[in-house]
Amino acid sequence: MYGQGLIKGLSITLKHFFERKITQQYPEERPVLPDRFKGSLTLKVPKCIACGLCANSCPNNCIKIESEKDENNKKRLTGYKVMLERCLFCGFCVEACPTKALLWTKDFELTKYFREDVNLDLFSSYVPSPDDEKPAKPAKEDEESAQAS
Amino acid sequence: MLKTQELTLNLGPHHPSTHGVFRCVLNLEGEYITKAVNHLGYLHRGIEKLAESRTYTQFIPYNGRLDYVAGMLNEWAYVMAVEKLMGITEEIPERAEYIRVIVGELQRIASHGIYFASMALDVAGASAWFYGFRDRDEVLDLLEMVSGQRLMHNYMRFGGVAADLPDGFMNKLDKLLNKLPAAIEEYEGILLGNEIFRARTVGVAPVSREMALDYGFTGPNLRASGVDTDLRRDEPYSVYDRFKFNVPVRQNGDTFDRVIVRIEEMKESIKIIRQAMEGIPEGPVMAKVPKVIKPPVGEVYSRLENAKGHLGFHIVSDGSTKPYRLRIYSPCFVNIGIFPEMAKGLHLMDAVVALASLDIVLGEIDR
Repeated sequence: MYGQGLIKGLSITLKHFFERKITQQYPEERPVLPDRFKGSLTLKVPKCIACGLCANSCPNNCIKIESEKDENNKKRLTGYKVMLERCLFCGFCVEACPTKALLWTKDFELTKYFREDVNLDLFSSYVPSPDDEKPAKPAKEDEESAQAS
Repeated sequence: MLKTQELTLNLGPHHPSTHGVFRCVLNLEGEYITKAVNHLGYLHRGIEKLAESRTYTQFIPYNGRLDYVAGMLNEWAYVMAVEKLMGITEEIPERAEYIRVIVGELQRIASHGIYFASMALDVAGASAWFYGFRDRDEVLDLLEMVSGQRLMHNYMRFGGVAADLPDGFMNKLDKLLNKLPAAIEEYEGILLGNEIFRARTVGVAPVSREMALDYGFTGPNLRASGVDTDLRRDEPYSVYDRFKFNVPVRQNGDTFDRVIVRIEEMKESIKIIRQAMEGIPEGPVMAKVPKVIKPPVGEVYSRLENAKGHLGFHIVSDGSTKPYRLRIYSPCFVNIGIFPEMAKGLHLMDAVVALASLDIVLGEIDR
């Protein structure tokens, strides 16, 4: 019979019409994000050894690191800027970090009113917390090469 | 005094039914198209050139920007090519290969889901559009769980994948696979059996077997024209030789067949994922690969079955850390070449449907 397919289609839509709605009421209802979610970046400053591996691994050179040498001839971080407007959110920098100082956050609402506000200054915006103590030892060589990208 | 005149009309570059920034100049005689000329390049970002200034590893994330609805498969194609160049294809752990198959087939389902959805929208079937996107979204949720992103995954690495599957992934995947067959049945109910849809697509813009081969069609478009070919079965890469699946082939090569082939392929993808879930071994997900990738001097061409056809990478290496030249063989670029021929003599509204049925993604055409 002509029109059978139409009626079948309408019955499917009708069935869904009376179903529970799956729309997420976004600003009020927050999305549940997986652990690996790539949102914004955060830096645990005391853990950072200013090795520069993150800056080297970045495809677009959007990480700028400033460091100075202290009395023990050890590098100390004095500035960490991420040009987020150029960032691909590929995550190579987080993967390259030997001390797990650079991490993703689940903050995904990165829109800003002005262009300069988009870029991150992870060094000066760091809020000290007791969890991130002294720099951890860099991972051993064989582990590094296993995780090498 | 009445007189008729041929009308020149720009379809695109910014038109929802061109699925991106594709411009086509149409000559119209009334509502019939007498001539169509493709104009490409509106989304050209010079990705092949960018590769020459990035290291091999740094180029992986750019592959997601090629065919942005099937990013995982693009990455896989590129990674496979570099692995072949380095000669480490044999060393990839089995678990990594199985994970690649699972995420790759999930991505194929997502890509065909968006194809079905946009096809439905182009014939003004808005509810079917939402159903397509609903299921694609759930697939993307899984890929987000694995890689951290929904579209630009950056999950494949030379010698394996970036990380093992997260906890709870298999349960969620199992739940989704139980749901998907019912969803695909819904697609068939709401669109494929619909008389209006059939009137708009059956016999519209047929591509004969000879024509498809002449124009260099690959993938589902070629299978819709009656050529039984699938790289996953004919030249099995990765671990595809261990899975049993059918290759759906249709004979007429019209718009309707191109839709059917993809719907059938989604069902086959579910079968492949099921088998991969059963057979997945434990073990590492990364081979021992040096940190700095320096492939030997030489060149390589490697291809795989993308959601749109054969996606190939031709890489020339001069022994340094950056590719000397990288060339992408894009299935969409080849498939769109037939559109001027196809559109001749069609109604304007049928041309829109025929264009949608080719499954073009402009990110891959212009690169």
